[in-house]
Amino acid sequence: MKGSVIKYERDNIDTDVILPGPYLKIHDYAELATHAMEGLDKDFHKRVKPGDFIVAGKNFGCGSSREHAPIALSYSGIKAVLALSFARIFYRNAVDGAFLLPIEIDENAYRDISDSDSLEVDISKNEIQNLTKNKVYKIKPFPELIGKIIEAGGLFNYKP
Amino acid sequence: MSKTLFEKIWDSHVVVQEDGRSLLYVDRHLVHEVTSPQAFDGLRLNGRKVRRTDLTFATMDHNVPTSDRSLPIIDQTSSTQIKALEKNCKEFGITLFDINSPNQGIVHVIGPELGITLPGTTIVCGDSHTSTHGAFGALAFGIGTSDVEHVLATQCIMMEKPKTFEIKIQGKRKNPHAVTAKDIILSIIRKIGTAGGTGTVIEYRGETISELTMEQRMTICNMSIEAGARAGLIAPDEKTFQYLRGRKYSPENYDESVNYWRENLKTDSSAKFDKSFILGVENIAPQVSWGTNPAMTTDVTGTVPFPEEYGKGNPEEEKGATKALQYMNLQPGTAITDITIDRVFIGSCTNSRLEDLMEAAKVVKGKKVSTKVRAMVVPGSQLVKKNAEELGLDKIFKSAGFEWRESGCSMCLGMNPDILSAGERCASTSNRNFEGRQGTGGRTHLVSPVMAAAAAIHGHFVDVRELDLN
Repeated sequence: MKGSVIKYERDNIDTDVILPGPYLKIHDYAELATHAMEGLDKDFHKRVKPGDFIVAGKNFGCGSSREHAPIALSYSGIKAVLALSFARIFYRNAVDGAFLLPIEIDENAYRDISDSDSLEVDISKNEIQNLTKNKVYKIKPFPELIGKIIEAGGLFNYKP
Repeated sequence: MSKTLFEKIWDSHVVVQEDGRSLLYVDRHLVHEVTSPQAFDGLRLNGRKVRRTDLTFATMDHNVPTSDRSLPIIDQTSSTQIKALEKNCKEFGITLFDINSPNQGIVHVIGPELGITLPGTTIVCGDSHTSTHGAFGALAFGIGTSDVEHVLATQCIMMEKPKTFEIKIQGKRKNPHAVTAKDIILSIIRKIGTAGGTGTVIEYRGETISELTMEQRMTICNMSIEAGARAGLIAPDEKTFQYLRGRKYSPENYDESVNYWRENLKTDSSAKFDKSFILGVENIAPQVSWGTNPAMTTDVTGTVPFPEEYGKGNPEEEKGATKALQYMNLQPGTAITDITIDRVFIGSCTNSRLEDLMEAAKVVKGKKVSTKVRAMVVPGSQLVKKNAEELGLDKIFKSAGFEWRESGCSMCLGMNPDILSAGERCASTSNRNFEGRQGTGGRTHLVSPVMAAAAAIHGHFVDVRELDLN
């Protein structure tokens, strides 16, 4: 996966800013996507391109169980969120529907990656290449079950 | 081998455990209108049925207006979602407590009051505050819509086994009417942080927990998710068994069930937890959140912190506090009691039960809401509302100038007509003070019901320990 970075240097990016409550009544995923990150960044929708990555701090996706949050990011083009850590319901929702990859990065990568950097993410090698800075970062491998759900392409495709 | 309560409930529900995954049997599935429509669509698309309609219960709470129930719902998208739940429940054969049912209410309020929530069971719901049911010694998880569909179809959930986290709460509060369960859980989150419980199931233990009523225990377990935990648990005791006796869905052979629960549902004395934390409650003060996550909380006697003081050398925390203060429009050093408010919300799955309203009413009785404040009380369920009205609480609130409304999630989450306007500042008994949570640009201060009631009367925060609440 190749794409460029939209970076939010911020911990605790919650589901209410990823997809604010009033939009939970929308069923059309493309329309949901137009409101992604609206609580934090009103220009996100204009800026995001297919294949982009979000880079953020600790506890990304904390709060509500709304699957609308990863759906809105996914349908706006985000392929993976690279964060220091994730809240568990968001993490699981992201992989259940194969919406996006929740990838845990370390402090070094978090500090080093800048907004608009070009990255190539290779989960088979647990590696991120920063094509802009010509650097390589390790990513935290997925837990066993999560890895298998991702590999299958979501919970309903996973056959143990 | 000695086990924790969590491990006992977990082990008794495992269908398959291998390769890092566990398939866990689900005893109760609670469904509401917001996180279920796509799940039912998925069932239809794949020609699947609901596997255990007898273990699945639905209500509508998130979207419903809390004004006059005889009027049509004006918001078309809300109305569509509510109608979709009605249609889905009918088509798939699920019990629904609809908008006109005497049992309608916030899903986490009605589960326990109907005896759907039982000790030792596993409970899931497409809502993060499902942790509330842990107060009864039930293992209760919030899940997303894909998992909702999976549970509807299979009555099982696929999970990784969480770690165990013991939080011991000990000591006696000097004034338990002023320093409430809400203040205890906010103190915990303030200390362990919003991710302090990530990947764990918390068991709350200790003498203070034993002293709490069931409704107070629910407030504690409710906010486990605000510390990032998968679930919160409290071992059931005589209070639990007493609370559930004679409820609509409680077991018929109740004494037999109680014997089983009493015998089996506790952590063995030599069991080990993966993680531990102790909170002494002798000296804790009423809590008020000042920032944009529940850990950004301080004593009512305190001041709005300086970001560098809050960050304690951590630049990210400091930055977070700076942003939070900007959003909240607060100056560091301001006394919490000098913060004036525009709105008061007493309600939500955290604090909308009968005791919450009784305690708040003590503060309000014979007083008037400040002329600068708009205040509302939203009972958690129709049953809470009815019981409160039988006690005359509605009259106390209304004559003080509070709005007395119909049951629902209301102003906790800004997706029904009850919202803050941009810039409005609210003393709220809900659980999240995230940016925009109660309405775009709205500013939330999390407090207990008595603190919210006192703020409504005075127009600013006051230390409720100075009031006569006994």
